[in-house]
Formats: sequence, C-alpha cells, structure tokens
Amino acid sequence: MSPQTFDRETWLDLTVNIVPLGIMAFFFAAFIVVQPWGFDSVLSAVQFSLIGVPLVLLAIVTYYTGRAIFNAEHAE
Amino acid sequence: MAGEQLALTVLMGLLLVLVAAVLTRLEDWRSYTPLAGGAGAAGEVGHAHEEKPGGITRWLTTVDHKDIGMLYGTYAIIAFAVGGIMAFLIRLQLISPDGAIIGNQFYNAILTSHGITMLFLFGTPIIAAFANYFVPLLIGADDMAFPRINAIAFWLLPPGALLIWGGFFTAPLGIGIDAAQTSWTMYTPLSVEQANPGVDLMLLGLHLTGVSATMGAINFIATIFTERGDDVTWANLDIFSWTILTQSALILFAFPLLGSAIVMLLLDRNLATTFYAVEGGGSMLWQHLFWFFGHPEVYILVLPPMGIVSLVIPKFSGRKLFGFKFIVYSTLAIGVLSFGVWAHHMFTTGMDPRLRASFMAVSIAIAIPSAVKTFNWITTMWNGRLRLTTPMLFCIGFVSNFIIGGVTGVFLASVPIDQILHDTYYVVGHFHYIVMGAIGFAAFAGLYYWFPIFTGKMYQRTLAKWHFWLSMIGTNLTFFAMLALGYLGMPRRYATYAFDGAIAPLAQITLYHQLASVGAVILLVGQLIFVWNFVNSWLEGPATASADPWNLKETDQFTKEFDWYERKLETAIADGGDDDDTLVADGGESVDE
Repeated sequence: MSPQTFDRETWLDLTVNIVPLGIMAFFFAAFIVVQPWGFDSVLSAVQFSLIGVPLVLLAIVTYYTGRAIFNAEHAE
Repeated sequence: MAGEQLALTVLMGLLLVLVAAVLTRLEDWRSYTPLAGGAGAAGEVGHAHEEKPGGITRWLTTVDHKDIGMLYGTYAIIAFAVGGIMAFLIRLQLISPDGAIIGNQFYNAILTSHGITMLFLFGTPIIAAFANYFVPLLIGADDMAFPRINAIAFWLLPPGALLIWGGFFTAPLGIGIDAAQTSWTMYTPLSVEQANPGVDLMLLGLHLTGVSATMGAINFIATIFTERGDDVTWANLDIFSWTILTQSALILFAFPLLGSAIVMLLLDRNLATTFYAVEGGGSMLWQHLFWFFGHPEVYILVLPPMGIVSLVIPKFSGRKLFGFKFIVYSTLAIGVLSFGVWAHHMFTTGMDPRLRASFMAVSIAIAIPSAVKTFNWITTMWNGRLRLTTPMLFCIGFVSNFIIGGVTGVFLASVPIDQILHDTYYVVGHFHYIVMGAIGFAAFAGLYYWFPIFTGKMYQRTLAKWHFWLSMIGTNLTFFAMLALGYLGMPRRYATYAFDGAIAPLAQITLYHQLASVGAVILLVGQLIFVWNFVNSWLEGPATASADPWNLKETDQFTKEFDWYERKLETAIADGGDDDDTLVADGGESVDE
C-alpha cells in the first residue's frame, strides 16, 4: 500500500478506518507491554488473534474498497 | 388415533387448496400493476409482465422485485404489530410489582416471542422490503439477479412465523405444545431441558427465517455486483445499496452459523446428542456460537437503516451527504469488526480475562465508525436548508436516539461497567434505543419517504407528524426509564419484581416501571395513528400529481428511483392519450435538462 496507490483525497477518506485500526493496534501493543494476567501460550495467542485478525481483515477490506472506488473514480 | 389425525390433516390440506383456488378466482382483488409502463417506457424490459396475472394469483406467483418488496413490507408490518402488542402486554404486566395482568409462564412466552418477532420477523424483513423494491431501481437493474430465489426467500417467511408463534396457537388446545419460554437468546441448558415441543417449532421456524435471509443476501450481493447499470460504478453507488451490500455479506457469514447452532440444539433436545451438555461443549459453546451470529445481527439490522438515513437527510437538508466516502468506509469497518466483538455479551460468564480484554478493545474500536456516521449526518444538516417533513423528522429522531443508544453502548463495552450493569434494564434500555429508537425510526423514515412511489399517493402530513412526535416521546420515556431502572439494579426478563425493599428502592423502581409503561401507551397510540394514516391514505388518498413530491430537482438530488417513478407516471398519463404538456410531471415547473 504505497503512497502512490491512492491520492491525497483518498488517503483522507481512508483515515476514517485508520482510527479504529489505530485503536486496535494500541491495545495490541498495550497488551504486549502490560500483562496483568500473565502469559499463557494458548490463551494469549487467542487474545492477540482476537485483536489481530479483525485488524488485518479491516485493513485488507479497506484497501480493496479504496482501490475499487479510486479506480472507478479515475476511470470516469 | 393416528389414523384420525392423518385424515384430519389431509382434510385440512384439501380445505386450504380449495380456499386458495376460490381466492384465485376473485378478479377484483385490490391490486395495482406498478410495472405496467415504467420499465417498459425506459426500454429496459421488453419481454415480461404483459400478462401479469391479476388478483391474489399475482401476489402468490410474483417474481417482480417490487411486488416481493411489498410482500416483505406487509409481512414485516404485521409482525411489527404482533411484536408490538406483545411488548405492550409486557409493559402492562410490569405496572405493579406482583405483575398486573398475566401469569409468569405467559409473560415468559411473550417476552421470548417479542424479541424473536421484532428481530427476525420485523427487522430483517422490513429491510428486505426496502432493499427489494429500491436497490434494483437505485442501481439501474431490471430486477434482482435471481427473481425466483427472491420469491422463494420471501415465501419461507410465513411458515417461519407460524412455527415461531405456533405454541401460542396450540397452547389452548391442551395438547402439550406451548409457546417457547427460552428468551430470544435460547441459552442452554434451559433451552435443551425444556421438554415443550413448542421450543422445537420455534427453532425450526427460526431456521426457515435464517435460510430466507441467506438466500436474500446471496441475491443482493449478486445483484449489486452484476446487475448495475452502465452508469453506476463503485464510486457513485448510492449509500443505501452500499449498506445492503455490507449487510448481505454479514448475513452470509452469520446466519448459516446460527442455522448450524440451532440444528445442534435440536439434536441435543431430540436425539440426545451432547453438543451443549456439560460433558460436551458446555453451555458456553452455545453462547459463543449464538453471539458470533448475534452481534453481527445487530449490525445486519442497523446498517441498512443507517443507509436510509444517509440517503434521506441530504434530501431535506438541501445539500449532498457530507463525507459520502467516510460513510461507505465506516460501513465496511462496522461490517468487519462486528465479527470481533461477540463476547462482550458474555463478560460475566467467567471467561478468561485476557480474552475479555481483547473483546473490550475491539468493542471500543467499533464505536468509531458509528460515531463517524453520526458526525456526518449532523454536519450534513449543519447550516443546511432543513425541511422538517415527516421522513426528515424520523431521521433526526434516529440520530438523536442513536446517540443515546450508542453512548450507553460504549459504556457497556467497558468490562468493569458491564459487570455491574449486565443483565439489568440498562442493557434493555440501551439496545431498545437502537432497535426501536434508531432502526424503527429509520424504517418509518423510509416508509414515509418512498410512500408516494410505492402507493402513488401521499400520506396525511398532520397525522404523520403526530405519529412522529408520539413515537419520539414514547420511545424516550419508555427506554430512558429503563436506563434508570438498570442503574437501580432492576434485573431484566423478570415477570415480577416484588422484592424486599431493603435490597433495592422498590418504590422508585415501581415508579420507573410505570413511567416506562406510560411511554408504551404513548407509543401504541402513535402506531395506531400510523396504521390508520398508512392504510387510509393508501386506499382513499388522492393520487400524486407530481413525480417529485419532495422537490428534489431543486437541489439536484432527483435520484434514480424517483426517476423511474417519473417515467412510470409519464407513461401512465401518455396511455390516456394526452401527450406533450402532461410530460412535465413535476407540477409544471421548468427543469434544467
């Protein structure tokens, strides 16, 4: 997702989804740093997947929708 | 005995066939043919509908997306009335701490049925009604991609409703089949251990509605992807179709899972499997499966109403929707994240705190796209040229109620707060602000906004405003009182609350319950006005002369569905032999073309 993929306007539109992505990234990092309930290989893996999977999926969906709209706009 | 029952069943079947046959012969059945000229005038459909049958046969055999939309709408409004009467009985019961009018068993039955009726038999179908009628018009398609699947999807719903409500019909017969009393969440082990076959009927009915929703969703996805007109791209696809597309994707992932979970529940109940038994998956398995469906279901119900509001607000603000693409992207964000928050319904089940923390994080994140939409709606109205028509009032009511419902939801996303408020009336107040205050209001906004298109008439404006204000006041009185009840610790679902005054302030709780019931009376009056206005205006109202009843051309917002309606009116008039001067159907105003 290089900056050339989208123009400035599209990036501005995409910020709307970058904010929730940022919130999830923040919690992801925070739970790495602070682990009040300790580390358990299974439960901690599930814990991080529960944030990580939606984060990655949202990033992918946002990217492809952004591309579809951007391309449609520039094809007009 | 079995032979007698069989004979009786065959006899009933014959009777039904006979009734259907008689009805098909009624030629003067009140009907109209919306496709009589409109689509043909545009040169889009050259082959069909010339011999569209009249009478009830038309409605039983139709594959026209608009007819099916009308069927969905009729079905949903009937379900809304049934669910509403159940809600009203619940509120009457709770006027006094000992329960005012009905027994506990019947209370449990209508509580269960109210939830399922409103979510599955009103919420999803009313959205399908709008989507069926308007998505093909909005995207310039001739019809849905699979018209017959569209018809099948609808026709699965009436048997679904009959099964879900079946226990109410059979209970008076004394044959041991009563209405289900599982609550709409059907938590195990309660739902496994209730021997009542009415629960099985309800589960089967629910399964049918799920299959129906899934078929509809596949159809909408295929339609929006493949049937768009040449001039409709991803960049200018209207906001309502975007929300329907996202909603359909959610249905595709959520409803089959509910179906599977229900089948396992049926097997546990009837064939002694142990999916949800302690030695099997345990009762937590049901909760995880149910809420993995159940939370996306919330967004399945709220995204299209958000689309309606996003579509209608600009029309009466005299300007384009602020941040159209913000709303598109945030709709998709809600769609994706809705699958990552399910266990916030289960914070008090004793699950591992690490998992709880993750669900809290995603639940907080999903608040952002919802809030973004709210700011977009407000900004669209800001300094706009507002016209407070009834659909606009319902949209503003939506925004207002959605803010209260949304903010109370953000609090519930936080684990420590949820542990105090879980299973109290606070939760009930919160989600009713969304399901009634927001989703219900958007449904009314859509019904009023498109009323001229699907009826060819105009509703009575004063009555409509009465409907709005009574709904607004009733909603806020009822559900705000519930928020207060929650803070006072009143647990949800109880048929009575005559507890020791030392545990909780009983007098205050009774007062708030009574206030909530007064709100329910106001709501009921409002809805009676709605039904009267709707039916009366449809049957008796004067036909609309203009294809632009909202003066949308003035602000260059005359969208495709009204364009279609204009063509329909023009051809209808032209059929009467009148030519050029009648073609200006907007009341004679000149239009820049």
